[in-house]
Amino acid sequence: MMMIEQREETSKTETERRAKQSILRSFSSGEDIIAWLADRFQIDTQEARSFGSMLVALGYIYPLQDHKRLLIKPDASLYRFQTPYFWPTQQWPVEDTDYAIYLAKRNIRKKGILELHEQEQYNRLHKWMNHKWDFIVMQAKEQYRAAKERKKPDRVVFECQERAYWVVHRPPPGTVSAMDYGLERRIDPNADETKTPDFYERIMIFTQQSIMRPRVKSSVSIGALVKYCTTYNSHDPFLSKCLPSNPWLTDDVTFWTLNRLNVEVPSKMRVERWTFSFGELLSDPRGRDDFRLFLKKEFSSENLAFWESCEDLKWGTAATMREKAEQIYKTFLARGAPRWINIDGKTMEITVNGLRHPHRYVLDAAQTHIYMLMKKDKYGRYIKSPVFKDTMKKAICPEEHKFSDAQLEQNAKNRRPSLSPIILRQQELEQRAKMAANAPVDITQLCRFTTPVPHLAVYSGITDSPSLAFPAPSPACPSPISVALDSTSACERRLEADERKPEALGPVRGPVSKSRMALSLRRLLKRGCTPATMFASLSPKCHSAAGTSSRIQPISPDEPSQAPPRRIGNFFQIKVDIPPECRIYPIESEDEDEANRSASRGGVGTKEIICPWESLTPHNGTG
Amino acid sequence: MGKEECKTMLDALNKVTACYRHLVIALGSTSDSQNLREELKRTRKKAQELAVANRTKLTALLKDKTISKDDRAEYERLWVLFSSSMELLEVDMKRSLEIGQDFPLKVPTRHLIQTGMTGSTTTVAARAMSVQNMKYEADSNIDTADLRDLQTEISQVSQMMEEMEMKVQVAPWAVEAKQEAGAELKSNMSVGNSSVGVISICEEEPKEEEGGGGSSKGFASICAVIVFFIIVFAALILGYLVINMS
Repeated sequence: MMMIEQREETSKTETERRAKQSILRSFSSGEDIIAWLADRFQIDTQEARSFGSMLVALGYIYPLQDHKRLLIKPDASLYRFQTPYFWPTQQWPVEDTDYAIYLAKRNIRKKGILELHEQEQYNRLHKWMNHKWDFIVMQAKEQYRAAKERKKPDRVVFECQERAYWVVHRPPPGTVSAMDYGLERRIDPNADETKTPDFYERIMIFTQQSIMRPRVKSSVSIGALVKYCTTYNSHDPFLSKCLPSNPWLTDDVTFWTLNRLNVEVPSKMRVERWTFSFGELLSDPRGRDDFRLFLKKEFSSENLAFWESCEDLKWGTAATMREKAEQIYKTFLARGAPRWINIDGKTMEITVNGLRHPHRYVLDAAQTHIYMLMKKDKYGRYIKSPVFKDTMKKAICPEEHKFSDAQLEQNAKNRRPSLSPIILRQQELEQRAKMAANAPVDITQLCRFTTPVPHLAVYSGITDSPSLAFPAPSPACPSPISVALDSTSACERRLEADERKPEALGPVRGPVSKSRMALSLRRLLKRGCTPATMFASLSPKCHSAAGTSSRIQPISPDEPSQAPPRRIGNFFQIKVDIPPECRIYPIESEDEDEANRSASRGGVGTKEIICPWESLTPHNGTG
Repeated sequence: MGKEECKTMLDALNKVTACYRHLVIALGSTSDSQNLREELKRTRKKAQELAVANRTKLTALLKDKTISKDDRAEYERLWVLFSSSMELLEVDMKRSLEIGQDFPLKVPTRHLIQTGMTGSTTTVAARAMSVQNMKYEADSNIDTADLRDLQTEISQVSQMMEEMEMKVQVAPWAVEAKQEAGAELKSNMSVGNSSVGVISICEEEPKEEEGGGGSSKGFASICAVIVFFIIVFAALILGYLVINMS
C-alpha cells in the first residue's frame, strides 16, 4: 500500500508543487489546505481531509503546533511544507547514522535534556554504532556550527523541518506514523525469480504434492465457513461493536481489564463463546477454571489435570521433559496411581511402551482419548450444569462508552504501557504453583491400591514440603517412590480410609472404597479412635504426611498425636530399611492382616511395575 | 607527523561534508537559487579534493606494516571516520542529483517549495570553502551542466569507495571510538557517560562562541553596558543639581 501511495504521490507532486507555489505564504492553516485540496482535485471535504492527513503522515506537510500528532486539523492550526530533501518520494533509506547525528545535535542544543524516547534511542544507538560514534559526534558538532551560520528565522525553520522529518520516521510513542517499516529482507519477494532448473524442480514438487492433497467438497468447506462466520460474527471486534469500547480506537483499556485471563466475573460474550465448542472452552483460561470446578464437583477432575499436564509436557522445555513424563506416569497412568485416568487398554499399552523412550508427544494418544472423553461426555453435562448456569447468570455485560472528542484526546494523552510479559509469566507460574499446592486429591481413586504419594506435588495436589524432607535423609534410595509406596501403603490406606470417614458426604465411586470405608469405620469404632487423631485427619491434605507420622506412632502405642514434622524424615528412614512384610502396626483384625499382606504383595507386585524407570534402576531399598 | 596531518584533513573533510548536507537540504526550496547551485558545486569539488588527499594519505599510512599496534588502531579509527564521511557525501550527492533534476531553475515558471526559508546560504558555503565571502561567477545554465558533472562525480566517488574497500582491510566494527580534544568525559565509552560527554561538548560550544563567533552578541552587550552607565551618570548629575538647588 505504501508503494501505491508513493506512486500516487509522485504523480501528484508535480501538481502539488505548482499549487504550493500559488500559496504565497510560507505556512498555511489546516482549513485552507483542505479547501484547496477539495478545490484542486474536485473531491469532497471529507476526502480532502483524509488526503491531507495522509500528506501530513507521510511527511510532505508538517504541523507547526502539536508536532507529534500527524494529522490535519480543519481549523486555523498552521502547517508548513517540507523541503524536498526530506520527502519520502524517492524512498531513500532512512539511516540510523543520520538519526544518531540528529540526536547528538539535539543533545547539544537542549544541553543534555532529551525526551525519554530520544534518550533511549540515543543510548541504543550509542551501543550499536559505537564504532562510528566519533564520526557522529564530529558531524553533529560541524552541522550544528554550520546551521548557526544562518540567520535566526531560517535556523528555526531548519530545526522544525528536521524535527518533523524524524517524527515521521522515528515516531515517538503515541504517534501514529504512515511509514510501515517491514522486515529488511535480503531478497525482494516481489522481484522476478530467475528460471533455473532448481526453480522448475520446486514447481514440479509443489504441483505433485498439490495433486496428492486430500480434497474436500466445496459445499462442505463453504458450509463450514458460513457456519463459522455466522457464529463468530457478533464476537469479532472488527465486524461488530466491541463492548465497552475498542481500546485501539478510544485508548480506553476497560475492555482488556474486563477480559483478563483470570478475571473473577467474565463477560457475557466470553461465556457465550464457551458454548461454541469444547476447544473454545479449554483455550480460555477462565473457561477452563470453570470447567475444572465443575469436574471437581463430579469427581472426575483427573481428566482435565491429565490433559493439562500433557499440554505442559508438549510445550515445556526439553530439559524437564523426562521428569515430567515420569511424574505424569506415576500420577495418572500407573497401576495404583493416585489420580488414575480411565483409558482403554490399547491406548495404555501404546503409551506405556512409548514411555520407555519419552519424548514430547509420547502421551498424545492418551491425551486425545481423554480429550474426546471430556468432549463427548463432560462438556455436554457442563453446559447443562448449575455451575455453568450460575456463571452465565453472573456474567456482566458492560455499557458502551460514549466518548466526546475532548475525552478521546485526554485518553490518548493518558496512554500507559501495560504490564511487562515477564511479570505476567511470573504471576502465571505462581498461580499454577498455588493451585498445585491447594488442589485436593481426587476422592474417587482412593481404593486399595491408591496411595497418595507425597512427592508428586505437581498434579496430585500435595505440597512439596513433605517431599523435601524425604530425599534428604534417604538419598541412597534410588526410587523412593516405590519404596514409600510399599512401606506406607498400609498405613496410608488406613489414613485415607479414616479421612474419608468424616468426609463421607461426597459420593464415592467404586464399591471397593466403600467397603473399605465401612470396614475402617467398624474398625475405628471397635478400637475407639482418639478424637485427636480424627481431628488430625480433618486437617488439610498438606499436613497428611505429618498426620501420617503422627498416626503411625499412636497406632502402635496410644500416644498423643502430632509428632513434630521434623520427625517425619527420620521415621521414614527407619521405615525404609524395614522390609514391608514386617508388621509395624498392631494387628487388630484379620482382614487387616490380609489387607496388609495383599498390600505388600501388591507392593511387591508393583515392583515389577510396568514403569520403565524402575525397571532400569536397581532396587536396593527394600530388596 | 602523519597523524596530525591526517586529523586536520579529516576535520576539514568533516566540515565540508556538514556544510554540503546543509546546502542540499536547502535545495528545491525557496532559498534555492542560482547561487545555491554554484555553492553546491564548489563545495562538492572541495570535498572531493579533500577526499582524494585523505585517501592517499591514509592508505599510505595503513599499508605501512612497520607501525605499532596502537598506531594502527588509531589509523583504523581515522579510516572509519573517513569512510563514514565519504558515505554521507555520496548519499548527499546522489540526493542532490535527484532533487536538482526535479527542480530545474531555467524554466519559465520555477516551482519551488515554500518552506519558509528566505535567507541565503552564502555563509554556510563560505564556511565550507573557508573563505570570508563567496564570489559568484557561474554562467546561467549552471543547473544542467552542473548535473552532468555531478553524475560523473558520483560515479567517481562510488568507484573510489569500492577501491577503498578492496585495498584496505579494515574491519569497521572492530574500531573502538574515543574522543580526543574536547570531550574528555567521552574517552571511556560507557553508555552512562555518553550523554554527559555530549554535555561537555555543548559546554565547549558556548566557550567557543564567546571566543570567536559571538561578536554580534558581544557588541550588543557592550552597548547595553554603555547605556547603563550613561543613565547612572545622568542620574548622578540630576541628583547633584537637586541637592544644590535645595
